[in-house]
Amino acid sequence: MNLFRSEEHAKRWNGYDAAMVAAIKPVAEWAEIFSNPFFRQRGRPDYISWTRTEEGGAAFKELRSHLPRPVEADS
Amino acid sequence: MADLELLDRGYSAIMAEVVDCGRAPHFTELAADLDIEIDAARELMHELVGMTPGWVHPGTDLLASFPPFNMQPTQYHVTIDGQSGWYAQCGLEATAMRWLVPGKTIRIEAPCLCCGESMVLEMCDEEIVSVDPEPMVGYTSAEIGGAADSRPFR
Repeated sequence: MNLFRSEEHAKRWNGYDAAMVAAIKPVAEWAEIFSNPFFRQRGRPDYISWTRTEEGGAAFKELRSHLPRPVEADS
Repeated sequence: MADLELLDRGYSAIMAEVVDCGRAPHFTELAADLDIEIDAARELMHELVGMTPGWVHPGTDLLASFPPFNMQPTQYHVTIDGQSGWYAQCGLEATAMRWLVPGKTIRIEAPCLCCGESMVLEMCDEEIVSVDPEPMVGYTSAEIGGAADSRPFR
């Protein structure tokens, strides 16, 4: 899970996998995904308990809905 | 398995120290901090790692990654309000560090894995302060949340 200077640079990386092309996103989009409460709440003193609440479960479900999947997994 | 209250205290204690100084407590230090037996602290640390996208160095009890931070240096050098000493687990988790230091500016400096040229990203709370170069992207070749044994390598 890395940052690149541009989409072209990501595609030229020797670890690039075309099946995960949907994972190339502007850094601002990734920053939005990583703004999910699952990340925002890490500083609370009851974080592990929180992840098991209805609110935590909903946050995780919402996060998963935004994560890119390999092309094969969608077909 | 540790009870939820102890899991909460353990997670919070580890995170607080990593945020404070960029290193995770050894399980012996965690034991003293939480006032529990040393073996219980060692098991607690492994349990917490199993619940989060972090890892210990293979074959050891040494915490190597506690997201969004990494104890083992990565290419993602992080400064917090101008003070250096932290590393991000990965480029994407780096964007989540700001939530642990409200009101402070996170600066992430890293070389591009394609060309080695430098990139800088600055964030503070809800704001992306600067992106250099502007077309910077994030990319992962593996599904986020994938197999635990692939975490250090994706």
